[in-house]
Amino acid sequence: VRRRRRIANTLYACAGVVLALVILIPFLFVLSASLQTESELIRRPPPIVSPNPTVDNYEYVFTGNVPAAYASRELLRGTVTQDVRQIPKGLRNSFIVALGTVLINLVLATLAAYTFARERFRGRHAAFFFILGSRLLPSVAVAVPIYVSLRSLGLLDSKLGLVLIYSAFTLPFSIWVLTLYFRSLPAEIEEAARIDGCTRIETLRHVVLPLAAPGLAAIGAFSFLFSYSEFMFALFTTETPHAKTIPVIIASVSVNPDASYTLIAVGIVLSMIAPIVFALAFRRYITSGLVASLTRG
Amino acid sequence: MATGGGAVAGQRARARESRLGRRGYSWMTLAPALALVALFTLFPVGYAAWTSVHRHVLVLQDRPYVGLRNYQNAIEDPLFADAIKSSLIFVAFAVPLVTIAGLLVALLLNQRVRGFAILLVLVLLPWSIPTVSAGITWRLLLHGDFGAIDGFLYRIGAIDEYIQWLSSPDLAMASVIGVHIWREFPLPAILFLAALQTIPPELSEAARLDRANGWERFRYVTLPHLKAALLIVLVYETIIALSVFDLVYVLTGGGPGSATTLFSWFTYTATFKYLNFGQGAALSFIMAAVLLVFIVVYMRIVRVREEPS
Repeated sequence: VRRRRRIANTLYACAGVVLALVILIPFLFVLSASLQTESELIRRPPPIVSPNPTVDNYEYVFTGNVPAAYASRELLRGTVTQDVRQIPKGLRNSFIVALGTVLINLVLATLAAYTFARERFRGRHAAFFFILGSRLLPSVAVAVPIYVSLRSLGLLDSKLGLVLIYSAFTLPFSIWVLTLYFRSLPAEIEEAARIDGCTRIETLRHVVLPLAAPGLAAIGAFSFLFSYSEFMFALFTTETPHAKTIPVIIASVSVNPDASYTLIAVGIVLSMIAPIVFALAFRRYITSGLVASLTRG
Repeated sequence: MATGGGAVAGQRARARESRLGRRGYSWMTLAPALALVALFTLFPVGYAAWTSVHRHVLVLQDRPYVGLRNYQNAIEDPLFADAIKSSLIFVAFAVPLVTIAGLLVALLLNQRVRGFAILLVLVLLPWSIPTVSAGITWRLLLHGDFGAIDGFLYRIGAIDEYIQWLSSPDLAMASVIGVHIWREFPLPAILFLAALQTIPPELSEAARLDRANGWERFRYVTLPHLKAALLIVLVYETIIALSVFDLVYVLTGGGPGSATTLFSWFTYTATFKYLNFGQGAALSFIMAAVLLVFIVVYMRIVRVREEPS
């Protein structure tokens, strides 16, 4: 029996290695591609790892110094490589938009979720049903009218417009996760605080919020990841580097048939850094938040 | 709250709150969130309904009522049937495959093997990055002229000629589905793993003592515990698969021809390429209606599950 156990464990380990490779290979490939020169990358077959890696591509994105390897082909690549120079701006825009959305979520979702968790009032079920249902409405179905309404609000091509859309799309999820979280806290401490004369808002701020940190971390991480990465609305509603977020910029570079593959790879690597750091830092809260929000209604 | 000013302010706040009453407080705290959500969900759906029965073309000023003509035009478009077919094929393959992949990964991660803790971290990676980044990475990997996958297969001698993963009609659809699975499997994996961890180990042990083999243990001990998670994953992934957009944009642009023109992509081109908002709204409304069915089903599943507690 013990030998069978050992064989099984070896098999599991092998499967684990395969899984790790399937997950990691695309990441390693794009990292390696970003450190190569164009002529290396488009060799058939391409080298697995460049014999002489270079950070020239990154330097070009941030400073505009054309890499030596391109100087000879600049005529061919001129316009396209220009687009890549928007990447730093796009990263900044994505970051600002994501932080704005996180902030709105933390404030509005906390207020609403605490009410859903503790208050009883007429219309509670209807309001909650509305929140639950809108959580799953995919963006494609409302893209056109949202474009039109944003236009009439004068918020096309603005970071504020994106923050509002993203908040509307993340709030239902955040409210839901936080409501579940607040309900899991013991109500006795809050009742004690109320008897001591705290208002509801004071109780929320001084008693409930310190206990709810994991829930807040989860909704913060979710709304950050969603708004940092969202593509469709950003594509429809932004036009200039002033508001374009990183997914829009790297997508427009990548669908250009003349774009340099190494520079595309640089854009992808840069676009993935912040989400990966966030996802790993908040991993535990993300996992528990996901499980709770999707399986409980 | 010990200082005099604080106490006075506190009293005032309390007085305000009691005047406001419980209902006032409730609605005041809900209003900002509800208003924002409604502005971008209820209003757009209503607006789509209105637009869909009017002629709304950006270059023309007047917007006369046209009844159901937008719907009729949309449906009679020969590409409409194609788009529905593509979406159905996509859903039919992507949803079961994502679910099975997630289940297999969860079963694997549930084993106690040294070093698997790192896998739990890795599994989150494909899900955490922007879909666009994942799509472009795979576009480079699958490139028919310089792609690393073709390069690898060529090097080991598995192929004599580079395969056109993204520009031959059948392979393009399969490739998009494959990339979708790579990106989407972490979510079901996490859900299934959470469900697996609620199974008391004694149950599996008891089955083992009863000389149940691996499959029987899975079929009669594990699977019943996964039923709820399974239903949720299936419905949720159907909603996700029906609304795929980003991947099509960066991988194939709906092509070659209309091979990967999923319904969401079709709606996008009708609206933003041809600037026919009326027809775009009609298509959006059809889509919202279909999705609403799944959303209601989903909510029923989660509700039913909660009732006993």
